[in-house]
Amino acid sequence: MDLSFVTFFLVKGLEISSPIAFAALGGVFSERGGVVNIALEGIMTVTALTLVWGAITFQSIWIGLLVSVITGMLMGFIHALVTVTFKVDHVVSGVAINIFAIGLTRFLCQSWFGQETQSAINSRLFPSWLGINSLAFWLIPVTILAWFAINRTVFGLRLRSVGENPEAADTLGVNVYLMRYAGVIISGALCGLGTATLFADKWISGMVAGRGFIALAAVIFGRWNPIGAVLASLLFGYADTVRIVFETRIPIPVQFVQMFPYVLALVVLAGLAGKARAPAADGRAFEKGEG
Amino acid sequence: MAQRRPGSVRYAIFERAAPFIGFIASAIVLVGIVIVLGENPANALSAIYKFTLQTSAKLAAVLSVSIPFYLSGLAVALAFKAGVFNIGVEGQYFVGGFTAALVGIYLHVPPAIHIPLVVLAAMLGGALWAFVPAILKVKRGIHEVITTILFNNIAIALVTYFVNNPFTGLQKGQSLEPQTRKILPTAIFEKLNGLFRSLGWNVPDYVYLDYSLVVAIIFGAVIWFLLARTRYGFEIRAIGTSIDVSRYAGIRVDRVQIGAFLASGALAGLIGLQEIFAIRGFYTYSLASGLGFDGIAISLIGRNSPVGVIFSAGLFGFLRQAGYGLQLFTRVPNSVTYAIEGLMILFIVVINEILVRAVRGMRKKEAG
Repeated sequence: MDLSFVTFFLVKGLEISSPIAFAALGGVFSERGGVVNIALEGIMTVTALTLVWGAITFQSIWIGLLVSVITGMLMGFIHALVTVTFKVDHVVSGVAINIFAIGLTRFLCQSWFGQETQSAINSRLFPSWLGINSLAFWLIPVTILAWFAINRTVFGLRLRSVGENPEAADTLGVNVYLMRYAGVIISGALCGLGTATLFADKWISGMVAGRGFIALAAVIFGRWNPIGAVLASLLFGYADTVRIVFETRIPIPVQFVQMFPYVLALVVLAGLAGKARAPAADGRAFEKGEG
Repeated sequence: MAQRRPGSVRYAIFERAAPFIGFIASAIVLVGIVIVLGENPANALSAIYKFTLQTSAKLAAVLSVSIPFYLSGLAVALAFKAGVFNIGVEGQYFVGGFTAALVGIYLHVPPAIHIPLVVLAAMLGGALWAFVPAILKVKRGIHEVITTILFNNIAIALVTYFVNNPFTGLQKGQSLEPQTRKILPTAIFEKLNGLFRSLGWNVPDYVYLDYSLVVAIIFGAVIWFLLARTRYGFEIRAIGTSIDVSRYAGIRVDRVQIGAFLASGALAGLIGLQEIFAIRGFYTYSLASGLGFDGIAISLIGRNSPVGVIFSAGLFGFLRQAGYGLQLFTRVPNSVTYAIEGLMILFIVVINEILVRAVRGMRKKEAG
């Protein structure tokens, strides 16, 4: 193996990991604030479409990125509205949003591009660096920022406090609802960023392909810690890279190779059970003035 | 409940009103979209009417497409009742349909035995695919939402492999989509259209009202009976209401949840029967997808009850046909119905929560 292949593999792996990693960081923000976010998948589905739409309509991938992040925040806002304000079960809301996302994207895609399952081609792509989408390199500073925001700022402390013990946080004057909204909306924004590292040239129905759920597994595997979640995402991403790079070179039927990342996620989850501890109030509604 | 407290009827109405309010709210949104798209709402409504309710033939078509919706909603509902969130219905029906197809293709027995065996095989396959997530949930505490989703992806890859390789029915050189061999005539789900016509319902030949309708009715009744009239059903409902209380009351929560999860998978296995055994006559991995996710919506709208799911499945069948009507007669694309379905669930879960809380508040007030 020569050096250029090693570089290629390392860099390619980063590109393939980054949609999962950004979404996982989003998951960390949401869950540390106490909102379980199964909607990551649906948010990614919608932002992947609005990214392409924005880039084509405004003839700039950067505006596309902006549109993607804003729609991610809007979707996050819906999830926050349903779970925090209306106190619907977080998993039910997340699943409902995922279903809504499938329907919404089919409808929008048909309205914008004349067909349900794929968009027009977008020729304005992100600049590439070392042969990959340069946006993937943003993962490194964003991860550090996320770690800093959660562990070293007042905002992070408050976010964690409403995820662990909202009643106590409330007593100390923290606005529980506001913090939870912030966590979920940030997670939507990060999903929007993540889909920008997916494929920006065209939207295809089903292109997110379970990455949002793999990201959730990464959040758990990474023990709700930004660095841990990103490392777990890299594990899944590089597993997928091995699949893509070696698919044609190993004598195993391609479908079994395709299963590999999912089976890996399952094995990791099964091996981890009982050891990982979620934020204490994760998934629990908070009612001001009760208890 | 022999004695009803005054006002309890009013509460009951409130608690059950969410699906209706949600439906009306999403219908209003639909009309809004129609107007935005520059179409006359009256035109759109008449297109929908023409394609769904105008003739008994169209009504039969709605019933036909509602059958898989019903089975899917029923599968999700049973799991929900036991506090299990089975998102894996999608993968379970791909696997269940495949095992059923194997029995339909390779087993040579008379129809009277073949059809029940096919149904059984479908249920076994579906239950098999629910087994690992069920164990992981109960024994290791891993949330079933994540595991079943991963299993869905694995299922699709697996059946794609089977249909392409060991069980392919395609000869070399043919350019059809990959599929299995043809299902034997003894296992084909015949249409019951003739029967309905002799009863005075004009069901045209192109509509599939086949044995899968009978399967849906039988299992709907069985699950209703199980939940409403048996000890096991009571335990399931108790767990769905409160796991802690159930455990305290001595119910073996783990066991009941595994059982309900497997039964839900078994029901999921039945979803593909109509398409595989009545419509196509072979198995392929490009079966209608997404039915498992529709099932979640159908179950929520039907308040997770075997009876409620009849209505919500019918509603989904209606919406699907309405979409075709819109596509054909107006400028509104049929995909609008998918968006509306999604919106409707969001509306319903939110409205339901508001109403339930309102009722709780009123009860508290009344209790003083």
